[in-house]
Amino acid sequence: MNRFTWQSALFLAPATITLLLFAYWPLLQDVWLSFHSWNMVSPTMKFVGLQNYLQLLSSDELIKILLNTVLYILVLVCVNFIFPYLLSFIIAHRLNRFSFFYRSALFIPSTVSLAVASILFLWILNPLAGPLNIILSAIGLESPRWFKESGLVIIVIGLIIGWKVFGYNLILLVAAMVDVPKELIEAARLENVSNWQLFRRIIVPMTSSTALYVFVITVVFGLQYVLVPVNMLTQGGPDQGSSNLVYIVYQYGFVFFQTGKASAFAILTMLIYALFLIVKTKVLDKKVHYEN
Amino acid sequence: MKKTTQLFALLCIGAFTIAALGCGSSQNASSKTPSKVMIEYWHVNAESFGGPSVKQLVEQFNKENPDIEVVEKYNPDMYKGLTQNLQAAMASGKSPDVVQMGYSYLNYAGENLKYASIPDIITKLSPEDNTYLKDNFLPNVLSLATTDDGKQIGLPYSVSVPVLYYNPDVFKQAGLDPSQPPRTWQEVTQYAKTIKEKTGIMGFFMQEYADNWAQQALIESNGGQILAKKDGRTMAGFDTPEASEAYQVLADMVKNGHGLHATNEEAFQAFLSGKLGMVCTTIGKRDNFEKSAKFTVMATQFPSFEGKTRKLPAGGNLLMIFSQDSDKQKAAWRFVKFLESPGALALWSKGTGYLPPRKGVTEDPQGLKDFAEQNKNMQVAMSQMPEVVKWASFPGANGLQAEQALIDVRDIILSGKQSAADALKQAAAKINSML
Repeated sequence: MNRFTWQSALFLAPATITLLLFAYWPLLQDVWLSFHSWNMVSPTMKFVGLQNYLQLLSSDELIKILLNTVLYILVLVCVNFIFPYLLSFIIAHRLNRFSFFYRSALFIPSTVSLAVASILFLWILNPLAGPLNIILSAIGLESPRWFKESGLVIIVIGLIIGWKVFGYNLILLVAAMVDVPKELIEAARLENVSNWQLFRRIIVPMTSSTALYVFVITVVFGLQYVLVPVNMLTQGGPDQGSSNLVYIVYQYGFVFFQTGKASAFAILTMLIYALFLIVKTKVLDKKVHYEN
Repeated sequence: MKKTTQLFALLCIGAFTIAALGCGSSQNASSKTPSKVMIEYWHVNAESFGGPSVKQLVEQFNKENPDIEVVEKYNPDMYKGLTQNLQAAMASGKSPDVVQMGYSYLNYAGENLKYASIPDIITKLSPEDNTYLKDNFLPNVLSLATTDDGKQIGLPYSVSVPVLYYNPDVFKQAGLDPSQPPRTWQEVTQYAKTIKEKTGIMGFFMQEYADNWAQQALIESNGGQILAKKDGRTMAGFDTPEASEAYQVLADMVKNGHGLHATNEEAFQAFLSGKLGMVCTTIGKRDNFEKSAKFTVMATQFPSFEGKTRKLPAGGNLLMIFSQDSDKQKAAWRFVKFLESPGALALWSKGTGYLPPRKGVTEDPQGLKDFAEQNKNMQVAMSQMPEVVKWASFPGANGLQAEQALIDVRDIILSGKQSAADALKQAAAKINSML
C-alpha cells in the first residue's frame, strides 16, 4: 500500500501549497486573531484570551442571528432547490416544446451580478413608487415596507438571491433529469405508473447525486450570497432582522472594526458549516445513488 | 515592545537631526538658491467624489507657489483607509504633510497620531497669522477640530449639515404655500398630515443611513443629548424625556401613516418621483436631488422645536498637518491657508456640495457669492453654520458597536414596537454596558 513517492508529492505540491497558503494559513490566523482585541488601525494588538468567545456566546444577538440563519436556509432551500427541482422535472420530461427557450430564459438572470439584482428589487419593491406597489394599490392593498419588517425582509432577500442562483441550479438539475434513461420512463409508462410514482420511484433516486450537490451549494453558497444584498439594502436591519452568520462576521470586522469578535464569529460559522457537511456525509451520502 | 522603543528612539533622533538641520538652513537660507519643498497631501476624494476639484486646487497652488510642490495622494476606503495608510507610513518614518481626517476620527487621531499642532506652527513659524483662526472661523466651527481634552488638532475643512427638502408641487396640490415651509416639528407634523390627507402622497421622511447623524440633530435640538459625561466617563445621554419626546415625533408620524419608515434609497427614489412630500437629509444630497428630480427641489432650514435652539452635527473632515521639519511645516501651513481661502473653498463647495467652514466665503465675490445668490438651497444650508455642533461619537473600542445599538433602536421605535422612551432607555443601558 505504501506507494507514496516524491513524484506523487511533487504532483500534489501546487494544489497542496495553494490550499495551505490560501485556506489553512488564513484559518490559523483567524484563530489567532479571535484571541485578540484589535481595530485594524491601531498598531498594538491586545491578547484577551477567550473573552471574545464568551461575549459572543452570552450575547442576546447570537440566538437572533442563528434563527435568522435557519430562516434564510429554509427560504433558500425552497426557492433554490425544491422549486427548481420540480421545474426541471417538468422541463425535462413533461414539456414537449420550447424547453430550450425556458432553459435559457431562466438561466439569463444568473449572469447578472447580485448588486444589480439588489438595486432592481429595491426599485420593484419600493413601497411608494415601485411597480409592485402600483399593482397592489390598484387592487386596494397597501404595500408592506419590505425591507423594514422583520421576517419579511429575509424572504425578500432570499428571493433576490433566488433570482441569481435559481437558473444555474435549474440547469444542473435539468442535466441530471435528462440523464435518466428514457427506457426506464417508457417502461414505467407501459406499466401505467402515475406521474407521482414515476417521480418518486425513478426520478428522485436517479437524480439524487446531483440533487444532493445542488442542495449543498444552495445552503453553503446561499448564506454567503446574503452579504451583498444585505450590505447594499439593509445593513443588517431592521434591528438585526436581516443579519445572519456571514453578515455578522463582516459587520464586526469591517463596520465595528472589532476583528477579534469577527474572527470568533467566523470560527463559529465554520464549525456550523463543518457540522452541516458531517451530517451530509454521514447521513445523506448513504441514501444517494452514484452511477460510477 | 523592544522594537517600538527602538523605533521611537530612532524617530526622536531623526526629529533632532532634522530640527538641527532646520536651524542651520534657516541661517544661510538667503545664500542658497531656493530649492523646492515637496509636500504630500492625502485625501479621500475619488473621481466621483470631488477628486477633480482636489487636482485642480493642487495644480493652482503649485502654479502660484513656485517654491513648493504639493503632491496629492488619493486614499481609498475613506477615512479608515486613510488612517491605516497613515499609521503604516508613520511607522516607517515617512508621514505625509497635509491630511484630511474625518470628524468621527477626531479623538482617535488626537490620542494616537503624532500630528503637528497648527496653533504651534503659527506661533513658531508664522507669527503674522496669530489671529488667523479667530478672525476667520466661528468658534463653534473651530471646535469641530478640537478634541475632548481641548486640543486644536487641525482646521475644519469640509462641513455638511442636515436640511429639510420639499417638493413645492406636492405642497401646492395639498393647498400649502411652498414659500412658507414648516419651521417647527409641530408644523412638519401638520404639513405631513395635510399632504397625506389632501393628496394621498406620503408626507415626511428622515434619513435612515447606518448612522444617527440626523437623529442627533433632532434629539439635541430639543435639548437632549447623545453623550453625557458622568464622573469623567462618557455615557449614553439619550435616556431623557427631551430625547424621547423628539424621537416620538418621528414615530407618531410613521404610526399615523403620514411619515415614512423605509430604507434611504427607497425614500429618495420616492421623493424624486414625486411620491413623497418632505425629506430631511444632508445638504450633500443637494446637487444629486436638484439634477435628478423632475420638479424644482426646494430646501429649508432643519426644523426646530418651539422656543429651543437648533443644534446640528457637522459631517465632513478637518485638515491636519503631520510634517516634522519646519520647512515642510511652513509649506504645509501655506497650503492649508490656500485650501481655506475663499476662492479655493468656493471651488471645493461647488465640486463636492460641502459647505465652507470659514466666515465670509458666501459674501466674497471671489468665493461663493454668485453661486449662493443663484442657489437658494445653498443659502439655506449656509445660514445654519452658527448652529453647527460636533457629531457625537461613542468612545472606546466598542464605540462603533454602540452606534449600531442606537441604529437598531431607530427601527424598534419607528416600527412602533416600543415607545421611544422605553426603547431609548433599554438602548442606553445596553450601550453603557459596552462603553
